[in-house]
Amino acid sequence: MKKPQISEKYMEKIHPAIPDAYQKLKEGRVSRRDFMRFATLLGLSAGAASIAAQCGAPAQPAAPPAEGGEEAAPATEEAAAASGGAIKRGGTWTSSMQLQLLDHPARLSWVEGANIVRQFGEYLTETGPDNITRPYLLDRWEASDDVMTWDLFLREGILFNNGDELTADDVIFTFSEWLNPDVGSSMLGLLSYLSGIQDVEKVDDYHIRLNLQTPNIGVPEHLFHYPAIVLHRNFEGDIIQQPVGTGAFLLEEYAEGERAVFKRREDYWRMGEDGSPLPYLDELIYVSTDKDAGVAALQSGQVNSLYDPRPSDFQALKDVPGLTVRPVSTAQCLVLRMRVDVEPWTDVRVRNALKMCQDREKIMQLAYFGEGDLSIDAHVAPVHPAYCPKDIPAYDPEGAKALLAEAGYPDGLTVTLATKNDQQEPELAQALKELAAAGGFDIQLDITEPSGYWDRWTEVDLGITSWTHRPLDTMVLPLAYIQEAIGAWNETRWTDEEFETLLREAEGTLDVEARRDLMCQIEDIMQERGPIGNSFWKKIWNITSSEFQNVQAHPTAYDLMYEVWKEDA
Amino acid sequence: MAVAQPTAGAVPSQAPSRWAKMWKSLSIIFESRIATVGMVLVLFWVILGLISLVWTPYPPNASEFTQNLPPNTTNWLGTDHLGRDILSRLMVGTQVILLKTRLPWGGLVFPIGVAIWGVIGSVLVGAFLGLNAGYRGGWWDQVTMQFLDALIAFPVIVLYLVVIAALGQGDLVVILAITVTGAPGVARLVRSLALDIKTRDYIRAAETRGESPWYVMFVEILPNARGPLIVDSMLRVGYAIFAIGTLGFLGIGLPPPDPDWGNMVNEARKNIFSNQWAVVWPSVAIASLVIGLNLFADGLREELTRYQK
Repeated sequence: MKKPQISEKYMEKIHPAIPDAYQKLKEGRVSRRDFMRFATLLGLSAGAASIAAQCGAPAQPAAPPAEGGEEAAPATEEAAAASGGAIKRGGTWTSSMQLQLLDHPARLSWVEGANIVRQFGEYLTETGPDNITRPYLLDRWEASDDVMTWDLFLREGILFNNGDELTADDVIFTFSEWLNPDVGSSMLGLLSYLSGIQDVEKVDDYHIRLNLQTPNIGVPEHLFHYPAIVLHRNFEGDIIQQPVGTGAFLLEEYAEGERAVFKRREDYWRMGEDGSPLPYLDELIYVSTDKDAGVAALQSGQVNSLYDPRPSDFQALKDVPGLTVRPVSTAQCLVLRMRVDVEPWTDVRVRNALKMCQDREKIMQLAYFGEGDLSIDAHVAPVHPAYCPKDIPAYDPEGAKALLAEAGYPDGLTVTLATKNDQQEPELAQALKELAAAGGFDIQLDITEPSGYWDRWTEVDLGITSWTHRPLDTMVLPLAYIQEAIGAWNETRWTDEEFETLLREAEGTLDVEARRDLMCQIEDIMQERGPIGNSFWKKIWNITSSEFQNVQAHPTAYDLMYEVWKEDA
Repeated sequence: MAVAQPTAGAVPSQAPSRWAKMWKSLSIIFESRIATVGMVLVLFWVILGLISLVWTPYPPNASEFTQNLPPNTTNWLGTDHLGRDILSRLMVGTQVILLKTRLPWGGLVFPIGVAIWGVIGSVLVGAFLGLNAGYRGGWWDQVTMQFLDALIAFPVIVLYLVVIAALGQGDLVVILAITVTGAPGVARLVRSLALDIKTRDYIRAAETRGESPWYVMFVEILPNARGPLIVDSMLRVGYAIFAIGTLGFLGIGLPPPDPDWGNMVNEARKNIFSNQWAVVWPSVAIASLVIGLNLFADGLREELTRYQK
């Protein structure tokens, strides 16, 4: 009987990342279980994934889990080398990153702070560099069919660094901090589907139930939002004074604006490839410098890594011997947004005319040295699980001119474009000004320092706003493009009944393939009558000394250090 | 009593022509080697700026080339991070400093650059306040100088930020910022000169004639203070160029994409590790123009002082 097979072409049609995972499976770099979880999350049906897993599995089984039922670290190329005995323990890793004032993890506003706390604190879930969210402190989660009830099952036997065991009480306490308006956590808005702590129910010591007021598929991703560190039930409000967590390092020293030092914890719950507890490194040190000083320090070997390098830093460091550059695609972007309640942007023809003036390839080259992924004019990125691939619109200044004339501006239009000067916005603005001149737009630039723009980012008629990475397609759209968000983050005031209906449906659709169908329609609407232009999605880079192995570039610039090891430590 | 009579038949001495007078005044510059070198440097940039009004090698804002190129035969000074020709941008950058001021109404342009208008503003305001404080003395002096001292006590950058935050960006706002920050220094200088000059006999004579204080200040004192004031103004043009550079570097100067040298340094700074040339050229331009103005002012002061002796 002929053995059933799934072609790589078919897998690529479902999601471009699946053939890569399949290749890793064939090479024995990921387990069948990991492949199936990954492939199904990206939309491959369970049956198809199972067939592919059987076909692709190598002759030799992957390394078995460590003793005691504890899950081994996810396999990567370098981790595979470890199974051959290459992993070395010990060594110090030093990085350049601004060190800010820290108190309550729930109030974290910057990734830099989260990178400190995550070394000794942990999350219930983890969204990996592949943009897939997996259970972490949770053993598993289960969602009801209507996505209104989420059951969270904690792993048993996890200890805080003060010796207490992690239980549902700690999780309930953490939720109560997030949902307490007096704490001032951004988690409060993110978990808007919970009306209060009464919606978080302790079923038993390792089982928590969330009773949502509105369906939401983003719960696992929300639990890895950077302020979502799980706190000890006796936490009093200052994590530097009380650095209690379940993480793999212990905080030895934290001096705001100076340095942070972490030492290895001996009794961490996850096991390394060598069967001993993670982490592999003995010590982590962060030194607080600005970016330029950080680049110079990395070039001269004074530090081993640099937090979130800018494109110019990437240009400076990419060819430096002894450094390894690991790029990763993200959903970070610079959105060209138009306020649809203000002339002339009320007219969809004018909006579309400006969108047509984007020579996306040229803009990406000039603003980001070509290091990104071209985009359509919708706020859904190729890294999102339910992204629906569309053709990249062409640069069409003649078409833009014709549309402007049709809209009543035969002699062209003078507009003011506001933005800030901390990332690549000025470059994008200047590139667009030149490109749009051929399309009939005379763009005056109003570029201010970041605070000058953030003070008015929802008010300017035409602007460029930077949006950060969010792992799920349905996470950003409700923030900025629905009626309810006017007065908050809906900077364009654009609403569309059909769009909103589809979005609500997508928010309640767990099945990736079904959600992709909805996303296809959502993307079409945004392209046809939406309020934004979006030329490209940013790549970001992890740049680290080559002696460090198993380093992962994360799309939100998270430092995931537990499984990193140093050659010749 | 014998009275001298003109010699019969003697030819009356001919008054020197206007050109001769002008040349005589200018020749003071050439008597100082330092002033001559300074003038050559300044004239170099003025001429380059004038040429840029009608011609540049390439359009200064067009991204036509590969980014961050070093100097080469096509782009003599290389290209910047947006693939624009640095030489063309450097030439056009001279305009806004020395040759033209862009008004916010309908793209109107006014002759003479932002740095020079800023210094003219500083000198006018500073001279008015300093003359009044120095000549009138008393509460005029007290109030004016206390106020100016308070302004001087502010860090200059803070004053720039206050003015620009209140009024927004643009050439006129930069002129105002330079005026506000420069006027106290000019006022102090003029006050000290006025305190000295007002003790002279010709001031007493003017007062005895019954001339008004305004006449004494602006017709008797100010012209006699012009030597140090001119030298100070030259130096201030240098400071103003630095100020425009600083504002551009802080991203609150003249709005892009039209180049100004400070902005060019600021934008190129982000890529300094991969393209040093884009930082070097505008920095050299700023430095050479400021040095040129300083040398010019120093030489002029030297020669003027010699004449006074």
